[in-house]
Amino acid sequence: MNCMKNAVIDAHNVSKVYNPETIPVYAVNNVHLHLERGEFTALVGPSGSGKTTLLNMIGGLDKPDEGNIFINGIDITKLSASQLIDFRLHNIGFVFQSFNLIPVLTAKENTEFIMLLQRLSKSERNARVKQLFHEIGMEDKLNSRPSQLSGGQQQRIAVARALASKPQFVLADEPTANLDSKSASNLLDIMAMLNKEEQITFLFSTHDQRVIDRARRVITLVDGKIESDTAHVDTNIAHEQSVQ
Amino acid sequence: MILIMAWRNIWRNKMRSIVIMLSVAVGLFAGIAVLALYEGMMKSRVRNVIDAEAGHLQLHNSRFKKDYEPKYIFLNGHDVLKQIRSLPQVKLATARTISSGMLSTATGSAGVQINGVIPEEEYEASQLKKKIVEGKLFDPARKNSIKIGKKLARKMKLKAGSKLVLTFTDTSGSIVSAAYRVGAVYQSENTPLDERNVYVTMQNLNELLLSGNSFHEIVVLLKRDEDVQLMQEQLKHQFPSVQVESWKDISPETDFMVKTVDQYSYIIMVIIMLALAFGIINTMLMAILERTREIGMMLALGTNRIRIFTLVLMETIFLTLAGTPIGLLVGWLAAGYFNRHGLDLSGMGKEMMSNFGFGTMIYPEFPVEKLGAVILIVTGTALLSCLFPAIKALKLQPVEALRR
Repeated sequence: MNCMKNAVIDAHNVSKVYNPETIPVYAVNNVHLHLERGEFTALVGPSGSGKTTLLNMIGGLDKPDEGNIFINGIDITKLSASQLIDFRLHNIGFVFQSFNLIPVLTAKENTEFIMLLQRLSKSERNARVKQLFHEIGMEDKLNSRPSQLSGGQQQRIAVARALASKPQFVLADEPTANLDSKSASNLLDIMAMLNKEEQITFLFSTHDQRVIDRARRVITLVDGKIESDTAHVDTNIAHEQSVQ
Repeated sequence: MILIMAWRNIWRNKMRSIVIMLSVAVGLFAGIAVLALYEGMMKSRVRNVIDAEAGHLQLHNSRFKKDYEPKYIFLNGHDVLKQIRSLPQVKLATARTISSGMLSTATGSAGVQINGVIPEEEYEASQLKKKIVEGKLFDPARKNSIKIGKKLARKMKLKAGSKLVLTFTDTSGSIVSAAYRVGAVYQSENTPLDERNVYVTMQNLNELLLSGNSFHEIVVLLKRDEDVQLMQEQLKHQFPSVQVESWKDISPETDFMVKTVDQYSYIIMVIIMLALAFGIINTMLMAILERTREIGMMLALGTNRIRIFTLVLMETIFLTLAGTPIGLLVGWLAAGYFNRHGLDLSGMGKEMMSNFGFGTMIYPEFPVEKLGAVILIVTGTALLSCLFPAIKALKLQPVEALRR
């Protein structure tokens, strides 16, 4: 199957079904999704609508039972487990709901970790860490352990870590769910800025209206199916203008 | 980074890690203690065999040891003895006349080996002087004086001054009986030998055996233990018609014990470490289960399974090896202390110990030459212990792990 031109993510007829032998439950049901470079998209829907399942399949963490997912033209449903690990390392950035930083590593080491896996040189790593910490405004927290940081600060480090590998896109699963409004707003500003300046594609799964308001495209999932797919250009531009 | 993570991870639950490190230290100390004790016991046993029983080397007429017949005396014995004494490696060489016979008293009789010795030389060759616990040394004025072992004395109800009769065959095959008076009772650290060996002067025994001034055995003590094999070969070459045996040939059970006790002590060490391995496995499993989400996240980010395995392996190795220096240090200190002051095992029964040829005072020795093997066993334990937790970690699926 051919994928569409310029698509970073191209999902065709993707389904995920649990208990296929007994009482089949479709977590994701015949979903078509197409995201281009530089998009800032929110995947919304009630709990159990299949947002995280879809995100996991796009991130290569889970395999669909039906359909194909192309990332930059590569069908990741055909990759083996070890190929997927390598693919994720070089192409996908993850931001998790509960930060998931490695507690024994400092903020700098957490960000460097993924670049070490990519075998980047020390000077490359240092330069990237410096740039990212400047962008997230945490130059003074380089040597802090996650336990010494607030939730908002930890999530900003998680964003820096997700971007450290220079991924094609970032998948963020409820990134603001555990943050207060100020931290959430701050984090969204950073992600919007990175999206704009580095043209990194963001796909969020969220319930958070603040995220939905900032997204340029909102895809609503209900019972595993896409119910609506709308653009929110005005709100985002209005917010960017207010930030400036 | 994986090494840093592994090291920091083991300190996430300090108490748990310290407990397992201390168990490794205690286990290692126990293993070192066993090795040191066995080393001390074996060295003491070998020392006894060489210094108080067989000497480094013994030479006989090549036919003598088949039946211990007195007629097989040493041919040109004095020449051989003279030549051996002139060798630079030799500390002492002395001669013995030997006969098997019967010791009889009013209460009973017992089979014995009668050793006719040159007193002044024998005192040094078999430390007979030191072993005497009752009575006096050989006195030239008392011709038919005999030294008997304590075990035999007790069995035959003899004491210094008691009378007894020795019956044996002379070189011509005739039966000879001679009355003796117990001059002294000796006690060595080898009860079976004490029960079997009696000592008279060579001059006295030779007169009865009609063997002139010849003898049956030359006992050689060397200046250095390491020269035994070399000297055995040299003497065999120098005296081809003579049977030359080392202490290992004369006391093969001691040689066997020395060889096998190392294996036994390693087996004990392995058993101790295996028991510890279960503790380490438990600790590592707990650590993996507690960090399921974290490992899932690492897999999601793109950490391959080799790195996850390395992380678990390094954590286990750090956890195991961290206790090793403590165990070795305590083992070294304890072995050093008891090596200087001795470890009195008389509580286990002096008689029982001497029945096996061991003294009750043991001087444990820190087994320096076995440290490599000990470290290998500890590392093996760590590797073995990491396998199960590592497999558990490798089986994690990122999606499921992240959900926990």
